[in-house]
Amino acid sequence: MEFRDYYKILGVERSATADQIKTAYRRLARKYHPDVSKEPDAEARFKEMQEAYEVLRDPEKRAAYDQLGSEWKSGQSFHPPPDWGSGFEFSGRPAGTYAEEDFSDFFSSLFGGGSPFAGATSRSGGRDHHARIEITLEEAYRGTSRMLELKRPEVKPDGSVELRSHTVRVTIPAGVTEGQLIRLAGQGEPAAGGGSAGDLYLEVHIQPHRSFALENRDVTLTFPVAPWEAALGASVTVPTLGGPVEMRIPPSAQAGQKLRLRGRGLPGQPPGDQFVQLKVLLPPADSPEAKAIYEQMRAKLNFDPRASEAR
Amino acid sequence: MVRVTQVLEARLLGESDWIAATEICQLCRLDLDAVLELAALGVMSWRERAPGEWQVPATALPRLRVVGRLMRDLGVNVSGAALAVELLEAQRELEIRLRHLERLVGDH
Repeated sequence: MEFRDYYKILGVERSATADQIKTAYRRLARKYHPDVSKEPDAEARFKEMQEAYEVLRDPEKRAAYDQLGSEWKSGQSFHPPPDWGSGFEFSGRPAGTYAEEDFSDFFSSLFGGGSPFAGATSRSGGRDHHARIEITLEEAYRGTSRMLELKRPEVKPDGSVELRSHTVRVTIPAGVTEGQLIRLAGQGEPAAGGGSAGDLYLEVHIQPHRSFALENRDVTLTFPVAPWEAALGASVTVPTLGGPVEMRIPPSAQAGQKLRLRGRGLPGQPPGDQFVQLKVLLPPADSPEAKAIYEQMRAKLNFDPRASEAR
Repeated sequence: MVRVTQVLEARLLGESDWIAATEICQLCRLDLDAVLELAALGVMSWRERAPGEWQVPATALPRLRVVGRLMRDLGVNVSGAALAVELLEAQRELEIRLRHLERLVGDH
């Protein structure tokens, strides 16, 4: 297990006041909060900060931590001193603080708890658990399944509690949308005294797709066309989540124009639509023939692309 | 460790599902006053099934969980968290549009 320098994590001196610690935590939390931050390692950094703050904000825990001395460096191999724990009594986490986050082994070895099961329960049954799952847009369209490893505390014959791994397969129905919740009844924390177990909530996130942009149940595809397809109209094959379909481009279509394929978005009631946004690509004038065609267009078409901008 | 494989029936919480405000409090770790204030601010819709029995659509849950986290972790108040969550959602929407527009005007 590695030593964690909580002061360094929050960027404060060992002599920092409670206010300075709070300010440092708030400042860093704003930067690395996973709901707000764009930093790639935001979630890990934020958890680390929460853990550091959980210790340094609490005078009892901070005093205990300080007793380890200032010689330790982050990442150094660490074991609690043999007499650790004598003379302290930790009052546990205040209800409503980071009960659902896992803290490090380092934290657990010093202060106990740390597991997601350590927090206070606020009702007679077990607590609800939350997890986040990422799926692809194709999986959202067709439905999918995921294997989840759930850890449950289990009382052994000798009375000690051990975390037991439990693998479940969850079927995710077609038509799930970004941010939607899935409830797995009774798969949260087991109840301590005969009450009902908590539920497991999965929050679904759909990964950005390389071709389709998703908005609610609608998807938009940027679709390249030749100038003559846009000008004269054409029948083209367009990819959709359910497979390729034939689509008619009306004559005199413009670049950027959106055509709708009704009901070709994510399934649901009603299902979403697919929008096809035309992107007109110009053939390069890289041969005498191509140049001649462009020359002819210039000579014969009475076309001023900036007509509407002229004042 | 013993591994057990079990297939679970997932229940998708959709537009027609409503959740009691008291349950929302537990799921989002918000107090009832905060939930009612969020409803008053228009962060989510709500209905009163019976006197004092408030319900919130399940689709508002992810948003309310973000509100709960912002309040706890950043120390913002209810209206601050409500504003932040709306701005975050607007930002996300703009990012999606921006990505799409970049595709439209960018090199093929």
